[in-house]
Amino acid sequence: MKLLISTFVACLVYSILLLGSENQLEVGALVVLAFVVSLVGKKMGLMEKLAVAVREHPQFPAYASVFGVLVIMLFFHNSHFALLMLATVLIYSIVCLGLNIQFGYVGIVNFAGAAFFGIGSYTAAILATHTAVPHLLVLFIAAGISALIGSILIYPVLRTRGHYAALVTIAFGILFRNFLEVNDTLGGPQGLKIPPFTIFGWNLSEGLDIGGFEISFYIPYLLIALFLLIASFRITRNLERSWIGLSMDMVRTDEIAASTFGVNIAHWKVVAFTLGNFIAGMAGALYGMMTAYVAPNNFTFADSLILVSIVILGGIGNPWGIIPAAAIVVILPEKLQFIQEYRFLLYAIVVILILLFRPDGLLPRRIREYFPSNKVGGQR
Amino acid sequence: MSFEILLQYLLNGLMLGVIYAIVAVGFTLYFGVLDVIKFSHGDILMVGAFAGLTAYIGISETFTSPWLQLLVLIVVSLAVASFLGAVIARYLILPLQKAPPINTLLVTLMLGLALREMVRLFYPNGSNPKPFPKLLPVDGIDLGEFTLRSDSLILLITGVLTIVAVQRLITKSKIGLAIRAVAQDSETARIMGINFHRVVLITFMLGSALAALAGLMNGLYYNEVNFSMGLLLGVIGFSAAVVGGLGNFYGAIVGGFLFAGLQTIGAVLLPAILPNVPSAYKDVFAFAVIIIIMGLKPTGLISEKSSERV
Amino acid sequence: MSAVSTMSKASPQKQILLAEKLTMRFGGVTALDSLDLHVNEGEVLGLLGPNGSGKTTFFNVITGLYRASAGKVAFRGEDLTDATAQQVYLNAITRTFQRSRLSLPLTVFDNIAIGDNRRLNTGLIFNLFQREKFRKEYEVLVEQVRQLLLTFNPKLADKIFEPVASLPMIDRRRIEICRALISQPDLLLLDEPSAGMTHDETAEVMDDILQVRSKIKPFTIILIEHEMGLIQRMTERCIVLNYGKKIAEGTYDEIVNNREVQVAYLGQE
Repeated sequence: MKLLISTFVACLVYSILLLGSENQLEVGALVVLAFVVSLVGKKMGLMEKLAVAVREHPQFPAYASVFGVLVIMLFFHNSHFALLMLATVLIYSIVCLGLNIQFGYVGIVNFAGAAFFGIGSYTAAILATHTAVPHLLVLFIAAGISALIGSILIYPVLRTRGHYAALVTIAFGILFRNFLEVNDTLGGPQGLKIPPFTIFGWNLSEGLDIGGFEISFYIPYLLIALFLLIASFRITRNLERSWIGLSMDMVRTDEIAASTFGVNIAHWKVVAFTLGNFIAGMAGALYGMMTAYVAPNNFTFADSLILVSIVILGGIGNPWGIIPAAAIVVILPEKLQFIQEYRFLLYAIVVILILLFRPDGLLPRRIREYFPSNKVGGQR
Repeated sequence: MSFEILLQYLLNGLMLGVIYAIVAVGFTLYFGVLDVIKFSHGDILMVGAFAGLTAYIGISETFTSPWLQLLVLIVVSLAVASFLGAVIARYLILPLQKAPPINTLLVTLMLGLALREMVRLFYPNGSNPKPFPKLLPVDGIDLGEFTLRSDSLILLITGVLTIVAVQRLITKSKIGLAIRAVAQDSETARIMGINFHRVVLITFMLGSALAALAGLMNGLYYNEVNFSMGLLLGVIGFSAAVVGGLGNFYGAIVGGFLFAGLQTIGAVLLPAILPNVPSAYKDVFAFAVIIIIMGLKPTGLISEKSSERV
Repeated sequence: MSAVSTMSKASPQKQILLAEKLTMRFGGVTALDSLDLHVNEGEVLGLLGPNGSGKTTFFNVITGLYRASAGKVAFRGEDLTDATAQQVYLNAITRTFQRSRLSLPLTVFDNIAIGDNRRLNTGLIFNLFQREKFRKEYEVLVEQVRQLLLTFNPKLADKIFEPVASLPMIDRRRIEICRALISQPDLLLLDEPSAGMTHDETAEVMDDILQVRSKIKPFTIILIEHEMGLIQRMTERCIVLNYGKKIAEGTYDEIVNNREVQVAYLGQE
């Protein structure tokens, strides 16, 4: 337990330092520090010890993470930029959780993740600007529209496998972006403005001032994002640790054997694809309302690739890896200004290296434990 | 829509078709030999084009004859691309042979991204389009209002000759036989004494050279290159190869011309049928049709080479 | 269902599976050629023939992986010719595969549990939001799987939550058989279960199958095998295929002495 708490506090402090650092020297030093610590930790068998500790207290990571995010939020309560980054990390994590269900469980690679994210944003833009639909409902409708448009793709996705299926989602991603750029009713290349989120008359994009304690307007969005992340996480976890997760794994690993034991391949592919796109769409709607703006340039093929690389970097099939991976992918380039230009190049190189040398990612997926127990030896 | 304009569109479509077909043949070669989708193919095309451009800048003072310049361009461009292809095969593709195919797909996707970014960042003023030298004769034969430009004709003929040459290479030469043997059954080919690694390297060099040629053709035709030219061309080439049936040489060619045809139809017919739809939707149209075709014929129009054994 | 003794040959036996003029063509190759055969309820039927004679193809057609080019397959009187693999499974027909088809990254339990798919509740609400009920179903299944594993190998039962990838071939074979048995099928198709195992290991595994059979219910087995000793020991009746056609039918002793069978296996003398 002590190990867990000390690791948690260390990570928390590190995150705060990273988010708050202003100059590149600090950031560079922090990155090097992380590198050194991970090397030393590997030598000392830190990962194994942590794994054992987590096994003894399986609820710890979840509560600690939420607590950590809240602490960071309070710490940066009036720093817009840091909060924006935190919110972006959370929102990207939500999308990647959706992609993880498609890719990590059922085995459908979705190269149009950014497109479904964008559908959510655009739907939010239209609904919020032209209708009086309450914004909480907008989130769900946007998610639904995203899933619905995804279901247009489902027929070719079902019938194809591997490379052919990849082509279908790639073609759709490109088609979507082209369509947005050419279509003027949806704003064309300039995009659309999105009104801010309002709940019960409270405009989230106005900051709060509680007795001199200034609260950035990003905080409410952050809280919603956190809530959605927790919900998506719970769903992902319960999904994996159930007969559904089992069926999906069978679909991914061996369709033929799966079908001879009654697994309905098409059914699970549809469920995973639709659910993943639903989650992506909802995240997109929230993101759009938070940034007040949506344009086709945010949803290119390269963005979809970034989402896929977050899933891989984190460890395919392991939802926990997604959050640190998203953090690395979002925060580092912002902080290391000199590499801002080289952002994509660096991603590409890092992902290539990972695929060559550590294809399992940051946190490789562990074997399924339906009900993790406290006993060190696993199930009784 | 006058006959001449239609003819112009037709010629344009044929040009594009030939370029797409060349790119698609590369994809099909890679897939045939290694069951690999090399997504950086389009970006090799771009590198080839830029290599040619650099070569031109280097020699434009020394040699003045455009044909000589063209020759040097071609040699340099193809050489650079082949070398790059071999390096990629040796250090990225072959080591990942045993990994799940999605890994290779992703690696090559990332590689493509890396190549694009490297050109954008490190080539002088790389993020802007660069003019490509006009090395082909621009005069033409006049047929009424329509001018059959010489450069179009030369490029078209070159393209067709290239495809025919590759076809002869694959079907008639010893190395072509080795490539086909490996494509069909790499285990047996190895047992029969064929050097698998060598065949893979040669295939990649060939494919990359083809890509470079397509890049040069593209540059000469539009008189312009830019760092992202490979992306769309690569996706189109990939779509063409898939629609034709991965691993099928003739399918790749059919696919290339089919895609060009769809784009042309989209540009010409859409505004005619749906008056408010601008021709810029041609790519949307083409990709939409591709998706529909994939839904109807999941393994391509002409059947793929292998099926899974139960 | 009449109580059918597995050893009795004299009493009239009910046909549980009937193939009529079953044909399977792949392009130019005819893998099954107008095959007529029947399987009696409760028997252990040996399916023999040289490589490429259509045995596995026959299994693939029955289990809905291939669609027959012509002919019919009926199970308990119901036409299963055009049934999907999933429908065949729901009719209580399970199988093993010639080359081991287990999901390597998954645990032993996972691989066997999927075999009982038709009894698993895979509803979204149940699995996502009714965890307590799910837990009960889960624990019942864990116990069942454990019991089944104990029949085969107590040591294997200890490894119930280990990934299959870490286990040797013979254990993987056992797991695959358990997967086919967990749902208590009416018809079990075994495709060369002895492949990759020694003589003794195979004998052990077959004894375990028979043990399960005697404990739960006398299900029917079709056994594809090349190891003749096994066929001799286990089967009451054999059918020999060659080039997709039935060339002999009878007890082991009868078919072994059949001239045509000898020629098929050994070539012309």
